[in-house]
Amino acid sequence: MEQISKDFSELSTQLTGMALDLEEEMRQSKEDKLDLSPQTCRRDSVLSGKEEEDVTMDAWRMHQKHVFVLSEAGKPVYSRYGSEEALSSTMGVMMALVSFLEAEKNAIRSIHADGYKVVFVRRSPLVLVAVARTQQSEQEIAHELLYIYYQILSLLTWTQLNHIFQQKQNYDLRRLLAGSERITDNLLDLMARDPSFLMGAVRCLPMAAGVRDAVSASLQQARAKSLVFSILLSRNQLVSLVRKKDQFLHPIDLHLLFNLISSSSSFREGEAWTPICLPKFNSSGFFHAHISYLEQETDLCLLLVSTDREDFFTVSDCKRRFQERLRKRGVYHALQEALRTPFYSISQVGIPDLRHFIYKSKSSGLFTSPEIEAPYVSEEEKERLLGLYQYLHSRAHNSSHPLKNIYFTGPNENLLAWVTSAFELYVCYSPLGTKAGAISTVNKLMKWIRKEEDRLFILTPQTY
Amino acid sequence: MSGPRVDAKVVLLGKEYVGKTSLVERYVHQRFLVGPYQNTIGAAFVAKVIAVGDRAVTLGIWDTAGSERYEAMSRIYYRGARAAIVCYDLTDGSSFERAKFWVNELQTFEENCRIYLCGTKSDLLEEDRRRRGVDFHDVQDYADEIKAELFETSSKTGQSVDELFQKVAEDYVRFTAFQLMTEEKGGIDLSQKSSPYFYSCCHH
Ligand SMILES: Nc1nc2c(ncn2[C@@H]2O[C@H](COP(=O)(O)OP(=O)(O)OP(=O)(O)O)[C@@H](O)[C@H]2O)c(=O)[nH]1
Ligand SMILES: [Mg+2]
Repeated sequence: MEQISKDFSELSTQLTGMALDLEEEMRQSKEDKLDLSPQTCRRDSVLSGKEEEDVTMDAWRMHQKHVFVLSEAGKPVYSRYGSEEALSSTMGVMMALVSFLEAEKNAIRSIHADGYKVVFVRRSPLVLVAVARTQQSEQEIAHELLYIYYQILSLLTWTQLNHIFQQKQNYDLRRLLAGSERITDNLLDLMARDPSFLMGAVRCLPMAAGVRDAVSASLQQARAKSLVFSILLSRNQLVSLVRKKDQFLHPIDLHLLFNLISSSSSFREGEAWTPICLPKFNSSGFFHAHISYLEQETDLCLLLVSTDREDFFTVSDCKRRFQERLRKRGVYHALQEALRTPFYSISQVGIPDLRHFIYKSKSSGLFTSPEIEAPYVSEEEKERLLGLYQYLHSRAHNSSHPLKNIYFTGPNENLLAWVTSAFELYVCYSPLGTKAGAISTVNKLMKWIRKEEDRLFILTPQTY
Repeated sequence: MSGPRVDAKVVLLGKEYVGKTSLVERYVHQRFLVGPYQNTIGAAFVAKVIAVGDRAVTLGIWDTAGSERYEAMSRIYYRGARAAIVCYDLTDGSSFERAKFWVNELQTFEENCRIYLCGTKSDLLEEDRRRRGVDFHDVQDYADEIKAELFETSSKTGQSVDELFQKVAEDYVRFTAFQLMTEEKGGIDLSQKSSPYFYSCCHH
């Protein structure tokens, strides 16, 4: 195992230049737990206030995870379910709790009550709250709340957000966020079913290295002075990324871009030109993104990030040039083929008991994973599998007892987690196998990934 | 800046939800999409060629987002526009107030931009007259005052949509021809295109 882990530390190169790991960021903020007994903190006291007025209250309460964003002055900013207005008293209770828990800024706190976890993340001037019935740890829930915070920053910038509240403490931020609720909703839905967020990494579209190189070279040639990143994607999978020398795109920023594109059909027509802040890259200013679909059927989308908001036509011309290059190199067809087979089957690995896995290469910030197949067919089963990975992940990354190897036996499947400084591997086996069997097949799996790495990952990242 | 072959820059402005994107969708693709409302993010650009007499004029249409979030950035979208279609929803009085805001903005920063007031969703009034939230004569007076054209359109039925863009293109041709005559050879580079009317909106 030692040897393999060494081998794999060489896998992949600096694509996105993985900056801070989310976990690190989480560790920086001091974590506080508050265990209130059900008597002193009944579910109702957290969630209710509107019971008589809202007949759908029961349905409302059934949701797995509620998310609220408030300003520090207690003004509602976002609510995942139901209008902020209808929930204003709920928000009021939360604010009371927040001030009750009054702590240093950027603290994470949580309350456990009656099967719920209530997690607070404070990022001045905002307070983010989740009320969850999921099995996730506080850390993971807080992690998702941070994504929501970054999502808001991507629309406003940190500078503008702070400026607004310095001017007027009780500003109603919903005015500025109008129309963006869908983007935030989509992000929350995506986080519940896409392991990218849990992994803090980006999934690549599998394709032959030669084809990808040709696509990347075409993208690289269609450059302009003001461009910082050129990103080609399809359905939340990265096809190619070219960046300016010494400029790195953090996976969180890339996730926010992916989410933005997947949450809106408005980019399908014409060419969009929109201000966007990449909060991990630079939270104080806007870039301008040129977004256009190159192919409707395969959702092939080109995203060009520019520093110059006046540069639309130059950037638009980059798109034209990119398409021209693709045709000249004769790779359009091969690219389309790859787009039509965005997933691979676990059966290709050739290990009988193996059901599914996630492999993340830490240095590149990329991960690979086969299609989720039987018995994880229903949405529920898929989410359950992701839940298991979440559980392993939180065990492996537990801040007080981090674990390098975990073997987990359950009634429906066995799981294995293996975390090194170079990679993270999460594997799901049928429940029939043994621990020894699982460990011996891991080697085989790693060899397979190694063999396929130039197809599954981007090994030769391009810069302008 | 290397511009595309766009003759006239046309910008759509107006409060969110008034129907700017639907108007462009109707004009460019002759369709009306039903389904959940998808607010525009930033702005979307589309070029469309339109015939004026025996001339082909390429309109570079900027469909902007109505959300206040982009207000501070709006100048990048309307700068240099030859025409602005300022939209308001015929059933929503507050959207007309917002239209006035855009008119002021244009009058202050874009003197050479012709303004077209566009009351949208006229089909809703066909269904029920009482839904009108903006008085026709008030708007007419206002349009006269600011020397703007006035249209009432429906992207659902297509009513007056082509007429609106046709008028924009015709005015552009007439106005540009006039401008070229009065300016003589005043700094406009015609060498890129045979058309004597060619004028790139994005020359700066
Ligand atoms: N009945 C009717 N509905 C319309 C018409 N035009 C637009 N709508 C509806 O009004 C809503 C908003 O239309 P959009 O075209 O997306 O509005 P917008 O002005 O582009 O909005 P933003 O992009 O947020 O600024 C949609 O639900 C449309 O279906 C129309 O002519 N008749
Ligand atoms: Mg729109």
